Parts: sequence; C-alpha cells; structure tokens
Amino acid sequence: MTYVVAWILGLGTLALLFLAIAHLLVALVLIIPTWRICTRAGFSGALSLFHLVPVIGSFIVMAVLAFSDWPAGEASPARR
Amino acid sequence: MGVEIAALMGFFGLTSAFALVATILAAWMAWRIVEKTGLPGWAGLGAILLTLTGVGTIVPLVLLWVFAFMRWPRDEPGRATLGYGAAPAGGPARPAPPRALAAPAAALADRRGWKLTGSLPGGAVALAIDASVVGYVLTGAPAAQPGELSVPDPSVGRPHARLMTASGRLGLEDLGTAGGTFIDGARLLPEHGPRDISAARSIRLGTVELALARA
Repeated sequence: MTYVVAWILGLGTLALLFLAIAHLLVALVLIIPTWRICTRAGFSGALSLFHLVPVIGSFIVMAVLAFSDWPAGEASPARR
Repeated sequence: MGVEIAALMGFFGLTSAFALVATILAAWMAWRIVEKTGLPGWAGLGAILLTLTGVGTIVPLVLLWVFAFMRWPRDEPGRATLGYGAAPAGGPARPAPPRALAAPAAALADRRGWKLTGSLPGGAVALAIDASVVGYVLTGAPAAQPGELSVPDPSVGRPHARLMTASGRLGLEDLGTAGGTFIDGARLLPEHGPRDISAARSIRLGTVELALARA
C-alpha cells in the first residue's frame, strides 16, 4: 500500500514538473515577441513577463498595451 | 442521471460563455494594439478570430511573431513628419546640416547669442547658442557633431528640432517627433517650418521646458 502511494505521489510530481516546463515553454513563445512589442511601444520589456501568469496573464499584457498611451508614440489618429 | 447531465451541460455552457467573452475581449484589445502601430485594426481582430477556425492556434502565434518583428507604419519617416510619429530609433535619419535662412526683412541690431537653460531629472542643462553659427540641431542623443546640442531626456527625439540664426534672429523648426515642440506653450508642427523665436520666453522639447534668454 505504501508503495502504491509513493508511486502515485512520484508520478504526480513528475506530471506537475512536466506541466510546469510545458507552461514555461509556451509562455516563452509568447514572451519573446511581446517583449519586443512592449519595448517598441515604450514600456519595459519585463511587462511581457505577465505571460507567466496562467490564464489571465496574456489578457493583462494586452489590456495594458491596448488601453494606455504608448510612451514611444502611436500612429496618428488621422490614419485610423 | 438527468441531474448530472444537466449539471454538465450547465458547466459546458458556462465555460463556453467565458471563452466567448474572452475571445471578444482579446479581439477588441488586439484591434486597439494593432491600430496604435498604424496597421489596420481588423488585422488584429482577424488574427484573434482565426483561433476559432480549424487552423488552430499556430497561425495567430506566427502572426504575433511577424507583428512583433515587422516594420510598423508608425515608424516610417513619412508618418513621423505628420507630427505624431515616433522619433526614429537609433537615428539612421540624421538630418541634413542646417542651412542658412535668408536674412529677415527687419534685422535686429542686437548680435548677442542666446542661452537655453532647463532642468532635467538627471540634472540641469544649459546650452549656448552663438549668433554667428548658422544653425544647430537639438537632439536627445549625446552631441556627436559640432552643430549638435544635447538635451539628454527620453522624451526628446534624436534629432528633435533645428535652430537657425540669421540677422540677429533665432529660428526654430520641429523635425517631427513624438514628444512635440512648443513655443511658449503653443505646439510647433513640422509643417509650420522654421518659426522666429527671438522674442519667445521658453521652448519645450517633449517634457523638457527650456527658458530662452540672451547670453
């Protein structure tokens, strides 16, 4: 019985580890382009690290970029 | 059994409602972000809505990378001269050396120079303008050439504006930067060309207020 519990715990830990690594990789694929977008918009690139927050992280980054005035300047309203 | 099925249906209905709201929210924000770069907003909206189709998430992901590394219309020099573009990063578009203006009809007898003084978060800035020099370029970058006057502040373009002297008068021309140039609080646009600031009290480059006085 003890062995079974140990196995379940071990496998669960392994699964969580793989999940964390996969999450990190997926976040990295989003962070690299977002880092560049943030710096080009005039924000700190570290803003893109919000992608590491599960589920709502990407929405936070998008909301900041969408609803703020970009320090580095935006395209003129006449072009919209 | 029926209760479980109803509960499951309710759960799926709830999650799909959340997914719908999230997709609409993301599409709206993508529209706004893409618009700020000068690209058409529907491109951002379309990229998000593509996730609903059979192509899956890889295409929007590729589009995100393309968007991050592509050339944005906002950064094109032609857009910058509209007055609300970004300062050219890295300064590949160094302006032509200042050219002499024709002498104004009413030349001033006072041939002293000018001085521009102001305070920056990192310290004070004091710039001397010699009336015998044809012109200067005001830039946020460190002065690299004799005709350049450095105002080291992030809100100042690289270059930002041009100063000209002629017949004891001082002229100022905006070079089309995001921060903008102001003469006594009034916006100077690139299409205004050079303006006489001999009688001005202050000019503003981006967020930097500079007091103008005779040297």
